[in-house]
Amino acid sequence: MRPTAPDEWEFRPSALTEEPLYFRAADRQLFGWLHRAGGAAAAPAAMGVVICKPFGYEATCAHRSLGAFAQAAAAAGFPTLRFDYSGTGDSAAVDPRADQLALWTQDVLAAVRELQRRSGVPRVCLLGFRFGSLLATLVARQCPDVTALIAVAPVLSGRRYLRELRVIQMAATKAVVVAPRPGNLEEGKGIAALEVSGFSISASSTAALSQLDLTAIDACPVEHVLVIDRSDLPGARMWSDKLGQLGAQAEYVALPGIVEMMWTAPHFAKIPHAMISAVRSWLERLARRVAEPASAAATAAKRAGAAAVAAPAVASAAPVLRLDSDENGATEGVTERPVFISTEPLVFGIVTAPARACPDAPAAILLNDGATSHIGANGLYVSLARQWARSGCTVLRMDLAGLGDSGIRRGRPGNEVFPPAALDDLREAIEYLRRHYAVQQVTLVGLCAGAYHALRAALAALPINRLMMINPQVFYWKEGMSINDLQLADIVRKRALSSYWQRLLAGQVNVWKVARIYLRRPWLSLQSTLRDGARRLRIRLPHDLGWELEDMAARGVQIVFAFSREDTGIELLRLQAGAAIKRCGARIYVIDGADHIFSQSAPRQELERVLSVELFATPAVRPAAVTAAAATSTQ
Amino acid sequence: MSIRATIKSQFEQVAREQQRRLVPLSDDLKLLDSGLDSLSFALVVARLEDAIGFDPFDTDGPVQFPVTFGDFVRLYENQSK
Repeated sequence: MRPTAPDEWEFRPSALTEEPLYFRAADRQLFGWLHRAGGAAAAPAAMGVVICKPFGYEATCAHRSLGAFAQAAAAAGFPTLRFDYSGTGDSAAVDPRADQLALWTQDVLAAVRELQRRSGVPRVCLLGFRFGSLLATLVARQCPDVTALIAVAPVLSGRRYLRELRVIQMAATKAVVVAPRPGNLEEGKGIAALEVSGFSISASSTAALSQLDLTAIDACPVEHVLVIDRSDLPGARMWSDKLGQLGAQAEYVALPGIVEMMWTAPHFAKIPHAMISAVRSWLERLARRVAEPASAAATAAKRAGAAAVAAPAVASAAPVLRLDSDENGATEGVTERPVFISTEPLVFGIVTAPARACPDAPAAILLNDGATSHIGANGLYVSLARQWARSGCTVLRMDLAGLGDSGIRRGRPGNEVFPPAALDDLREAIEYLRRHYAVQQVTLVGLCAGAYHALRAALAALPINRLMMINPQVFYWKEGMSINDLQLADIVRKRALSSYWQRLLAGQVNVWKVARIYLRRPWLSLQSTLRDGARRLRIRLPHDLGWELEDMAARGVQIVFAFSREDTGIELLRLQAGAAIKRCGARIYVIDGADHIFSQSAPRQELERVLSVELFATPAVRPAAVTAAAATSTQ
Repeated sequence: MSIRATIKSQFEQVAREQQRRLVPLSDDLKLLDSGLDSLSFALVVARLEDAIGFDPFDTDGPVQFPVTFGDFVRLYENQSK
C-alpha cells in the first residue's frame, strides 16, 4: 500500500514482516534483517534488494532511515536484506588489521547469496549509501546476479573519502595526520589506521581505499542504475552520465535529506522522505521492467565476464552467533541470540550468554544512549556484552520502543529518546531474562539517556541490584521537554561561563543570556544547599535526587557513576544530590581524555575496565573510585 | 564574497542544519568551543572545496587541524595566494 502521508515512511518494524538472522561470509558470521516482500498472495519476487550501509557514525545516525528504506523496498515487492559488515554492528568481530574493503566486499556478495537462498530471487538490486555505494559498485562488477544499483550520495573517490575522514579525525583529536599518496604507499610510509568518531579503518584498508576511483570505471556494472545525489553538494551527475554512456539505463536525481539522515546526531536525525519515495517509485518501475524478458545478451555477456569470480561459500544461516574462542578457549560457548522481548510493540534485543552461566553471576541490561541503537555509541555495548559474557555474565542489549530496531508504541513518535513507557519495556526485559536465563542479579547500564532510564527504573522499584550510569546529563524529565532543554548542563559548566565572560567583554555575546546563566547558577547552588539542609532535617522535598539515591541504596541497590572529565553531568549530580552522594555510597569514576560518547579508544578502554571491575568485584575488593567532590574540585 | 565571509557563511549554515548553537565567530575563538563538532567540520571543509575550489587539507605532508577560527581562515587565505 502506498503511504498516504510522508510520516508513514517512518520505520515500523514488526515480527510479522521482519526477521533477524545470521549468515556466513566465508568463516565470518554476519547479523542482518530480512524484510519480507509485501503482499502474501503476490507472485514470487523476481528481484530482491540488499542494503549496503554507510560506514561508521554515518551508519549510526542513519540506522532507522535505513530500516525505512528497507521497508519501502519490501512494500514495493522486493524482499530486502540489510546487514552489518564484518566487525561492525552486531556481526562477529574481525582482526582489526584486516583489509576491511576486501572483507566487506565479500560480505556484500554473501548477503546477495543469502537473500537469494532465503527468498528465491534470481536477481538482486544493491542499494548503497555513501561508502556502501562504493562497495555495491565493486560487487556489482563481480556478481552477474546483481543487475540493478541504487547509489545514494555515492563515494566515488576513495582518496577524497579518506580525506573527509581525516578531517573528522583531526578535528576531534587535534592529531597530525599524514595523507596516503601513491608514492608513500609504495614505500610503505605514511599509511596509518584511522579512528573516526569511534570507528576504525585499518591501515591496509586505507591503503586499498586510497587507490579506488569509481569515475575511472570503463565497463557498466549493471543494467539499471539510479543515482540519488545530495542536493546540498551534488557531485555524482557526471558519474551517472558515464554509466549511461557505458550502456546502463541510468537515472539521476538530486534530493535533500542526506545531511539530516546521516550527518545529524541520531536523536535529531530525520528520515529522508523524498529519497525513500524516489527509491520506491524507481523500484516499482524496475519491477515492471524485470518482469519482461530480460536482455538475454547483456546478461549472458556479464555472466561470462564474471565466471571467474568466486563468491564466498554460503552455509546455512544459523539462528545463533557463536563467538570465536580466544587462545585460552575462554569464550568457548559464548553465543548471541536476537530476541523479541515483546511483540506489541516489537521490543528487540540481543542476548549474549555464556554456555554455562554461574548462578551467582550478574546479568546486565544495556540501555540506548540517546537514539543510538542497541550496539551503543561506537559499538561500546557490543564490546561490553561480549567481554562480560566471557566472564560468565548474561547480557541483554536492547532497543526501547521507538528506537533502534524496535517498533513504535501506538500513538507515539519514532526516535523518542525519553519515551514515557520506557519503564514498561524495562520491566518486560528484566522479566524476560529471569524467565529465559534464570538470572538473579540484574545490573542496568546506560550512557546519557540510558543512564536516566536506569535511574528511573531503580526508583520505580524494578528488581535491580546495581546501576551503572555513564555521563548522565539529566536526572528529571517530563513530557514536553525537548532535547535542547538539557542545556541546564550548560549552566553548570564552568568552562563555558569563563568563555562567555571573555566574549562578553569583547562585546561578542548575548548579554541577556550571560545574565541568565549567572543568575541561574547561584540559584542552583543555593537550591543545592537548601536541599542538603532539608535532608539533614529529614524533610523530603519533591524531585530530590539525594533522597532518591539514598532510598535506592537503602534497598540494597549499588550505584556507580562514570563521567568523562569534561562532561557536565558530574557537577549537575553534585548540585542536585549534594552530600547524599557520600551517604548512599555511590561510586564515581572520572575518566580523562574522553568525550561524551567515549569515541576515542583509550578512554573507552578505561571506561570498559572500570565498569567490568564494578560489575564483577565483590564489595571487599572494589577498587578506589573518586568521590564527586574530589572529582569536581579538580576542574 | 571574500574567503572569510564564505567560511563564516558555511559555519552558520552547517550549525543550522546540525541544530547546533554556533557561538559568535571571532579570530581567537577556539574551534572546539565554536559549537560545531568534528562531523560538522568535515561538512564545512567539503562545502568550502566546492565553494572556493580547493581543500587545504589535501596535501602531501603532515596536516594539523587549526586551533582557532582565525587559524582556520588564515589556512584558506594563505592557500589561495
